[in-house]
Amino acid sequence: MPELLITLITIAVVVGAIPGVCNYLILLERKLSAWMQDRVGPNRVGPMGLFQPLADGLKLLLKEEVIPSHVDRVLFLIAPGISVFTALLAFAVVPFGPVGDASVPSIIRFIIAPNIDMGIVFIFAVGSLAVYGVVLGGWASNNKYSALGALRASAQVVSYEIPLGMSVLGIALLSGTLNLEQIMKQQVDGGILAWNIWFQPLAALMFFTASLAEANRLPFDLAECEQELVGGWHTEYSALKWALFFLGEYTHMITISFLTSILFLGGWHFPGIAEADSVYMGAWLVKLLVLISKAFFFICVMIMLRWTIPRFRFDQLMELAWRVMIPLSLANLLMVMFCAHFGASRWWLLPGSLMLFAAWGMISASLRDTERRAKPGYVRKKAVVAHDSHSTSHSSAH
Amino acid sequence: MNVWMQQHPATLLGLVIWAFGILWLMPSRRPGQIRSQRIGISIAAAGLLLFCGSFGKSTSDLASEVMFWVFAAGALGCGVLMITSRNPVYGALWFALSTLSTCGLFMVQSAPFLAAATIIVYAGAVIVTFLFVIMLAQQSGAAGYDQRSQQAIPATVAAFVLLGALSMTLQSAPPQFVRVEIQAPVVQEQQAGTMMTLDPNKPVNPPEPDAIPNYLSRADYKTPVGSLKGLGRSLFGDYLFAVELAGTLLLVASIGAIAIAPRREEGAL
Repeated sequence: MPELLITLITIAVVVGAIPGVCNYLILLERKLSAWMQDRVGPNRVGPMGLFQPLADGLKLLLKEEVIPSHVDRVLFLIAPGISVFTALLAFAVVPFGPVGDASVPSIIRFIIAPNIDMGIVFIFAVGSLAVYGVVLGGWASNNKYSALGALRASAQVVSYEIPLGMSVLGIALLSGTLNLEQIMKQQVDGGILAWNIWFQPLAALMFFTASLAEANRLPFDLAECEQELVGGWHTEYSALKWALFFLGEYTHMITISFLTSILFLGGWHFPGIAEADSVYMGAWLVKLLVLISKAFFFICVMIMLRWTIPRFRFDQLMELAWRVMIPLSLANLLMVMFCAHFGASRWWLLPGSLMLFAAWGMISASLRDTERRAKPGYVRKKAVVAHDSHSTSHSSAH
Repeated sequence: MNVWMQQHPATLLGLVIWAFGILWLMPSRRPGQIRSQRIGISIAAAGLLLFCGSFGKSTSDLASEVMFWVFAAGALGCGVLMITSRNPVYGALWFALSTLSTCGLFMVQSAPFLAAATIIVYAGAVIVTFLFVIMLAQQSGAAGYDQRSQQAIPATVAAFVLLGALSMTLQSAPPQFVRVEIQAPVVQEQQAGTMMTLDPNKPVNPPEPDAIPNYLSRADYKTPVGSLKGLGRSLFGDYLFAVELAGTLLLVASIGAIAIAPRREEGAL
């Protein structure tokens, strides 16, 4: 059974590699944060702090397992497992290299489950289960802060799933398939001008934003929100159980980065070095590296966003999902449908997306203005200025 | 119906015993009284075995047989645990597991999209909302009225009458299933920049089936429904009217929900 053997090898490689990669992503996050804040970052263990993740991992493994007496024991123990399980399961249909490339040795396959007809839908289905880890962890902890974090997480994930799914529907319409390998292949065959980002820039932005919210990354990490909720849903967790939660989060980050690269940035295609017809020694390695660098780029963007955009307030978070992203993704989908139905060129979608973005910005700005005026305590700006000048002149007269 | 009762006494008896076992397992109305769970489980299991045994043997292969029984047992067991658990949060979780088992059954029947959609809608959104409401409403532990089942007897009777009607339909008139030849998915070499086109080999208007089963929808048995494309074409072609009707109903429901929700001035959040 060579097929089964290849699948087992791929599973072993992925499951073995992801925790190591996640460990080093934490180092990357700390180093990048330090760089952005003009600090040095971890530099004690090994050269340039390179062995810091190993030390951290050992510490988390060997730390005492604390289970508080007031928790719901079963759910408390299951929750971190659900987090990791769903995050790893979603990776099963993500192609992480040049799948089906002729130059790849037959023993290597860059996807665990190939030819899944509904690849993206599977990822959404599994991803929608990931919130159970957070919700159950928060509820089982029997702690006010944890429960608040879990409440926020459940509302947030349910809201952001809608724009996440709808932003990809445009691509599904354009490519005529939901299979990730097929979507990647179409972009690769068409060259750089067939990358979906040219036709769906708005969808790419919304997909990335919504998946940040799904992964509980800043600026959407209202569920753990240290300043208000101590640690949010993981307040009562420590040692390996805490580490498992974060393994799940970082795996989610990796999946998102791969998905964004595959759906919108042409997968392993890069003009000049990794084209569909480039056959040279080790071409598949270059293609693999191209895809991994694209994913790495998105991971770096996520980490840098953490120190660039402050955390939202909860009502702002909900407003972004329901009043901005859902209408916008609907409009974007409608645009693609019109384009497909009347057989217009795909290039109309690029100016269309930009216009949609600008128009929605203006509409929501004017809506906000009307809303502010309708509030009972509204004071017109002019009056405030007059009052201020009056008071200053008054005080200066004295 | 009388004929069915005479021909299948085991089914009827199994249903009655099973219903009694479920009724026994339900959290009782008086909080002090706790019935033995073991007795209830054995009664329900006996009834279930009798019920299942009264059906004929299936003809599928061993692998799908095993998977069917695993998922079916999971769905039923989790369903029973859902209605019998005293803690609402656990009830919601058993509901989620029961939904997941049902999705496993869909998978066995090679309907992966239906399974994924059910997971997204039910396990991923509806039950998460349940959990949200339960956690929001009961931060100080479950209330007493949530720890016992309301209207246990009418609910059990209604559910088992429905189940009996279903099994009667299945047993007295075995439906003639139409074997659908699932075509291998036609992989079209699509150029980027051209839109998806219909398969030219397929006739645009498939011939009418002999009998139209439902006036609202025109099921076309020749469309391969196993693939995502076939499902979409069937849903938005053959069943367009039903889909639009359901969409309108949902729209009306959501407008109603917005209309009866309290405004901000009325003291909502």
